[in-house]
Amino acid sequence: MLLNKMNPSIKALSILVSILLLSIFFDPVTPLLSFVLTIAITFILGKISFKNWILLFSPFLFMAIVYVWSSLMFPRVDPGDSIIWEWWFITITAEGFQRSISLGLRVLSFASLSLLFALTTNPINFLLSLMQQCRLSPKIAYSIMAGYQFLPLIKDEFEIIRSAHRIRGAGRTETFLDKIKQIKKYAIPLLASGIRKAERTAIAMESKGFTGDRNREFYKEISVSKRDWLLLCLLIFIVLVSAFTSHKLGYLTLYKGEL
Amino acid sequence: MLANWKLREVVVLSVLAVVFGVIYLLFLQIGNVLVGMFGLIGYDLIFGIWFIVSIIAAYIIRKPGAAVLSETIAATIEVMLGNAVGPRLILAGIIQGLGAEAAFAATKWKNYSTWVLVAAGMGSSITSFIWGYFLGGFAALSPGYVTAMFFVRLASGAILAGLLGKYISDSLAKTGALNSFPLGKEARKAKQNDDISA
Repeated sequence: MLLNKMNPSIKALSILVSILLLSIFFDPVTPLLSFVLTIAITFILGKISFKNWILLFSPFLFMAIVYVWSSLMFPRVDPGDSIIWEWWFITITAEGFQRSISLGLRVLSFASLSLLFALTTNPINFLLSLMQQCRLSPKIAYSIMAGYQFLPLIKDEFEIIRSAHRIRGAGRTETFLDKIKQIKKYAIPLLASGIRKAERTAIAMESKGFTGDRNREFYKEISVSKRDWLLLCLLIFIVLVSAFTSHKLGYLTLYKGEL
Repeated sequence: MLANWKLREVVVLSVLAVVFGVIYLLFLQIGNVLVGMFGLIGYDLIFGIWFIVSIIAAYIIRKPGAAVLSETIAATIEVMLGNAVGPRLILAGIIQGLGAEAAFAATKWKNYSTWVLVAAGMGSSITSFIWGYFLGGFAALSPGYVTAMFFVRLASGAILAGLLGKYISDSLAKTGALNSFPLGKEARKAKQNDDISA
């Protein structure tokens, strides 16, 4: 059972289901436990480098800190909350503090699930799987692939425009307003040539007999096996075990639809 | 939904989504800087930029589904490029796109004037905020702060998605690249009328 070889659509579905389940819980213990368990699963079942994981994870750590301090600065204060610290306009209550920490941990638990997907999934296989398992129209899927292949071309074109500007002495920017205008000078030609290229690509696809018909064969078949569904069960199980443990410890809090 | 879409339109839609998918990722960095300075509301200041492809695609192609499809594809591209937010971004893309689509649907996909584009940007603001409220657990924040976040995002959607989207599309139409699309045809007709009256 290797995560890298699992069906991308089912993997995506499993992660979405777990994230939705996790967002029902409002206590710190549930996300913390599922964060730890998800990381364990990622490294036991997935073939990924630890360095890459840390690199992609660090922005989420930053985001979690932002969540915590925003909710500490501007907390919801319900009547009956016990105030532990008060200074100028900042009021920190025990309940508010716990909620802030759980928000931060929620970001981290989402991140661990997302990384499980991002680091073990090949993008083209993901599209093929969406087409073969989720009935995504080939018209859309192959258009996305065509567009995806344009990225390096667009980068080359950007270099050409920059050189052209430089050679004519038009590349200099001094004020902030100049910089904004500069963006337009790059963006519009890049978009225009992208659209022209897209039209040519569409003609090429049609001339080679691409109809976008759903009844087609695939060079690469992406299959679904029992192991894929096992992953779905495993991820849901992780959330439920975390919530159950949290309940045993007396922390479990559900989102009650507060506005 | 795709039955009356030409392949040409779908590919152009995808390319727009690809370009803006990359831009969306860049703006995530800008958002992180703003968030560092202002707290969570920092994202809301520039949130509108993340809806812009809906407005541009719908304004150029003018077919039902353009707004939601382009936003969903842009989100998919972000995931394909290795954005660590993962598959949940695609769901967010669908939800944002639906907000914009609702505004176009309300005019039966016939009216593409400025105020409809602005309303579409605001529509995305509303749906994305509801989604963010649930997923981000905004209920833990003070109601005053959440209200401020909402209105900042609404304004951002109106300006950065609605108005900026219209401006970019109109500039594109002037290059002639959109001549085979409704917006390009409209722009050419307007220009001919100007020439005749001049």
